[in-house]
Amino acid sequence: MIGKGLMDGLVVTAKNFVGSYFDGNRKERLFTYQYPEERMPLPENSRTFPFLVYDGTPDQMRCTACKVCETECPPQCICIVMDRDANGKPLRRPTVFDIDTSVCMQCGICVEVCPFNAIKMDCDFERSQYARFDDLITHLPTLLKSNEYYHQIKSAEATRVDATRKPAKKPAAAPTPVKPVPTSTDMRTEDERQAWQRGYQGEVGAGEIVWPPVVLKKQSARTPLEQSVSSAPAANDVPWHDSGIELEKRMEMAKERPLADKLMAAMAQVDCQACGYDCRGYANALASGESKDYSRCAPGEEPTKNMLEKLMKEAGKI
Amino acid sequence: MSTIETQMLEVSLGPQHPSTHGVFRMDVVLDGEYVVKLKPVMGYLHRNHEQIGEKMTWLGSMPYTDRLDYFCSMTNNWAYALSVEKMAGIKVPERAEYIRVIMAELTRLLNHACAVGFLLSDCGAWFTPVLYALRERERILDFFETVSGARMMCNYMRFGGVRVDLDEQSLAMARAIVARWPAFLDEFEKLMTENEVLLARTQRVGILPRELAINASVSGPVARASGVAYDIRKVDKYGVYDRFDFRVPVGETGDTFDRFMIRILEMRESVKILHQALRDIPSGPCIAPESKLRGFKVPAGDGYGRIESPKGELGFYLVSEGGAKPYRYHVRPPSFVNLTILEDMCLGHKVADAIIILGSIDIVLGEVDR
Repeated sequence: MIGKGLMDGLVVTAKNFVGSYFDGNRKERLFTYQYPEERMPLPENSRTFPFLVYDGTPDQMRCTACKVCETECPPQCICIVMDRDANGKPLRRPTVFDIDTSVCMQCGICVEVCPFNAIKMDCDFERSQYARFDDLITHLPTLLKSNEYYHQIKSAEATRVDATRKPAKKPAAAPTPVKPVPTSTDMRTEDERQAWQRGYQGEVGAGEIVWPPVVLKKQSARTPLEQSVSSAPAANDVPWHDSGIELEKRMEMAKERPLADKLMAAMAQVDCQACGYDCRGYANALASGESKDYSRCAPGEEPTKNMLEKLMKEAGKI
Repeated sequence: MSTIETQMLEVSLGPQHPSTHGVFRMDVVLDGEYVVKLKPVMGYLHRNHEQIGEKMTWLGSMPYTDRLDYFCSMTNNWAYALSVEKMAGIKVPERAEYIRVIMAELTRLLNHACAVGFLLSDCGAWFTPVLYALRERERILDFFETVSGARMMCNYMRFGGVRVDLDEQSLAMARAIVARWPAFLDEFEKLMTENEVLLARTQRVGILPRELAINASVSGPVARASGVAYDIRKVDKYGVYDRFDFRVPVGETGDTFDRFMIRILEMRESVKILHQALRDIPSGPCIAPESKLRGFKVPAGDGYGRIESPKGELGFYLVSEGGAKPYRYHVRPPSFVNLTILEDMCLGHKVADAIIILGSIDIVLGEVDR
């Protein structure tokens, strides 16, 4: 009969129409939330934007400015500068940690690669700002959030992370308060700002992408020590310099080499500078006796520490 | 009877036109209401995806693949992970294979539901069917968010497995979605399938002959509607698809109605696969132990991995020089290839039919232009 299909369809819409008013205690039929008064509970895995975790006070941030996330970030939206004291000695924490909200694509790869559980994904999605450029660059003070906050938004995950972390270290020897981070307008001249506003995509033709185009007082003062030891040899000289290779394999590769090379092979090979040097520099410092502290390779964790201890003992350095 | 001197009319449909499903343009030459020439114009959403892939590390490209076909980020992830795993020789644990199948089939459900919904919108059933489809899709997106953290840009697969394991709670969530789906399909079919207007609009409209479908290397539901029994899940048996009992629906005439119906039938088959996968999912690790994030390198060589994405054959051709980045990164997107036969299907039909023929191909411009 012509028109029967049409009528059947109309019955379906009528059912849905009536059913949306009288849900008969089927709570799951109601889809509308009266946002912002009423909020949908977000699943724990939900991710919007990264934040940095600190234990206790903001001085005790977990981030060591190792720049692993900066390197791995696919759209290159992170900029980190390591803090240094008056003598130029690295302090194993960032003084600048900027994330560009407008570039970040919320993939969460920074969280996955962080060796220190320092960067995590937030659930906060209300991130609109008034100014197009300045407000969208998120600085260190805004990024820092307490471990309690992390527990609050992702309790199961945070508990898991706490269980894997060693008991909280005592605060750094000389805890200087976190400096108020200058806004991006203070740090850049107008020309530099315009260069940044043109966007880093514009730089593609000009060779390698340098982002951000302004180097923010990077490595202003290197210590004489570092200058003397960090003359890294060519990459093909150190085949083990690849964080993907297992420790045993790396040691195998450096078996016939002098002590400095063996020490270097024991390290995590990420050049994270958490120890104050790159991998080559730290190895040289240990080998030359300038440093006796073999426990500073943070990404290498226990295996590296034990291996360094063994090598140092064998060589009679400690 | 006197003949009136007439003129051809050239119409530019799109790129800002609701019926073109994105920024796609059709340059149509009309004789009266009939299409005599049609030129698809693409490239409005070109964003250098392949070049970016060559600048990224192997892992760095993974979140970018989400943005190809933004309805089906899970299958895009899988296709890319599959080709890299092929080249690097990584074996995927069994549980991860099952999780991948679950995710891919849920993606197929949501994609096909939306595809038929939007097709009906194009026919003039303005938004009721598509809203019903979106309502159901929302459940799957909630599931994706629970598991992967994002509704659409999942970034879920990793080389050698998946990023997050499914716990009992999320498995129960998936089971609830699957249990509900046949009822939705029944309702949807009752709503539209026998509707006389739909039949008149879609039957014998935009016929794609079997030979042309094969020659133009059309794949996916479009090819199967034309009678080409070609499904990569059956042909390649990638992952663990050889363990599931499901059939591949094949159309007869290859008209728009067949392409509509094929998708409904495929959803029913997907539900079958999901029932089996959710029943048989083994315990174990969800990612291979040799898989790693940083410093991942692929041995020199090239490889092509392909899967049956909801829109057709999605393949990634990758060339490695043995380093941390691909030397060449190429995507074989199903929507783009399927779009090439648009003119052949539209010639001789009215301009209003060209719209529904385009809708029945089911394109996503993120994938067409890359």
